[in-house]
Amino acid sequence: MKNIVIAAGLVVVALAQVAVAPLFPLAAAVPDYGLAALMAVVVYAGPRSAMWAVPWFAIVFSFASDRSAGMLLLAYVPLLPASYLLSESHLPLNRYAQTLACGAGTGVWARLLLALGPIAQGASPQMGTLVGNLLISGLLLDIVLLTFVYFPLKAVGFSPRPMSLQRTGWL
Amino acid sequence: MLIFSRYSWWVGAMVGFALLLTAASQVGALNPMQGVFLTVTAPFENLLTSIFRPVAGFLGDAGNINDIRDENRQLRLENEELRNQATALQLDSERLKELEAALKISQGATSQQFVAANIVHRDATPFVDVVSIDRGTNDGLKAGMVVVSSQNTLMGTVTDVFKDRAFVRLITDSRSKVAAEVLDTKSEGIIRGSANRTLTFEFAQPDIKVGDVIVTSALTGRYPAGLRIGAVTDVAGTPQDVTRRVTVEPGVRLGTATTVLVMTTFVPQNLGPAQP
Repeated sequence: MKNIVIAAGLVVVALAQVAVAPLFPLAAAVPDYGLAALMAVVVYAGPRSAMWAVPWFAIVFSFASDRSAGMLLLAYVPLLPASYLLSESHLPLNRYAQTLACGAGTGVWARLLLALGPIAQGASPQMGTLVGNLLISGLLLDIVLLTFVYFPLKAVGFSPRPMSLQRTGWL
Repeated sequence: MLIFSRYSWWVGAMVGFALLLTAASQVGALNPMQGVFLTVTAPFENLLTSIFRPVAGFLGDAGNINDIRDENRQLRLENEELRNQATALQLDSERLKELEAALKISQGATSQQFVAANIVHRDATPFVDVVSIDRGTNDGLKAGMVVVSSQNTLMGTVTDVFKDRAFVRLITDSRSKVAAEVLDTKSEGIIRGSANRTLTFEFAQPDIKVGDVIVTSALTGRYPAGLRIGAVTDVAGTPQDVTRRVTVEPGVRLGTATTVLVMTTFVPQNLGPAQP
C-alpha cells in the first residue's frame, strides 16, 4: 500500500512540476517539486522505497515534460548515495541539515546537468545566467521547499528512517 | 563506505538504466507509453493549470501594477496608431483589388490553414522553453510544423507529436535558430534564443537600428517568409563593426500566451508532402 501511495504521489508531483512550478519562478529557476518529493521519500519512507521511486519519477516526469528520461534519472541519482554518505560520516549534522545538504547539492547537480543538455546541442553557455539566475536562485528555492516538506511531515508523525541497508534483507 | 556498499550497485544499475532509457527514447520506443500517459493524465493536468494559472497571474500582476499601467497607456496609443494604419491598409487593399480586376490578374492562393490549440503547460527554465499543446496527430499535426500566435507572430516549432498532445519548442529556447531578415532592409541573419529567454539577431548588418521589425526568411525552407518575429530593442557595438549584437523583443508575450495556431498547410523542407 505504501508503495502504491508513493508511486501515485510521484505522478501527481510530476504533473505539478510541469503544470504549476513554471508559474512560480524565482529569477529564472522554478521550484523542483520532484526533488523535494524524492528527498521526502528518502528520509521518511527509507532508502528501499527511494531505490525504485527515483527511476519511477524520472520516467513519469520525462513523459509529462518531454525531457530525456535518462538525463532526469542521472540528475536525481545522487540523492540516495549522498544521503547515505552523509549519514555515515562523522560530520556534526542533524537529519534536517543532512536533508538540506543532500537535497540542495543534488538540486545544483540536477540543474547543471539539465542545462548541459541544451548547451551540448549548441546553446550558448552564458555562465552568468547559468550561475546567477539558475543555480543560485534554484538553490534558494530548494532550501525553502525542502524545509517546507521536512518539518510538516515530521509534525504529522513521520519519523526519519535510517539510511543503512545492511541489516534488512538482501539489498 | 560507498564503493563497498549495496548503494554502489544501485548507482551502477541506475547509470546503466539511464543509458538504456536514452537509447530507447532515441529510437522512439517510449513514445507509445508516453502517449498513453499524456492521454490519461491530461484532465488532471488541465485541472491543475486551470486552478493555478489565475493565482500566478494575480500574484504576478499585483507585483507589477505600475508597469502594467504604463504598458496599458502605451498600448492605448499604439492601438490608436494601428487602427489608423488598418484603415489605410483597408483602403489600399480595396484599391489593389480594383487594379487587379482592371488588369485581369489575380493573387495566388497564399492563405494558410491553421489548427488552434491551447497551451497546457510550459517547461521554462534557462536554456529550455517548451510548451505542450492539446492537439496532436489526430488533428493532423506533425513534427516540424510552424506555430504562430493568434496575430500571426512566430512562436515556435512542433518537436514531438502524440495522439492528442504535442510539444512546441518556442523561439526563445536556447536551441532555437530561425532564419530571419529585417523587414525594411531585407538584410538577413539568424534569430537565436538564449539562456535568459531573450532573442538575439546574429550576423546583423551594421545599419540595423532599434525599432526595426524582424520577420522570418524562407532561406532554410523551415519557415514561410514574412512571419513577424519581433522588433529590435537594443543594438550593441559601433556602426564600424562588421556585425553587431542585436537584442530582439518577441512580438508576442510567450510567457502568458494561452492559445496558439499550428500552421498545417506549410510544409517545411524536412517534411514529406502535405497530406490533403
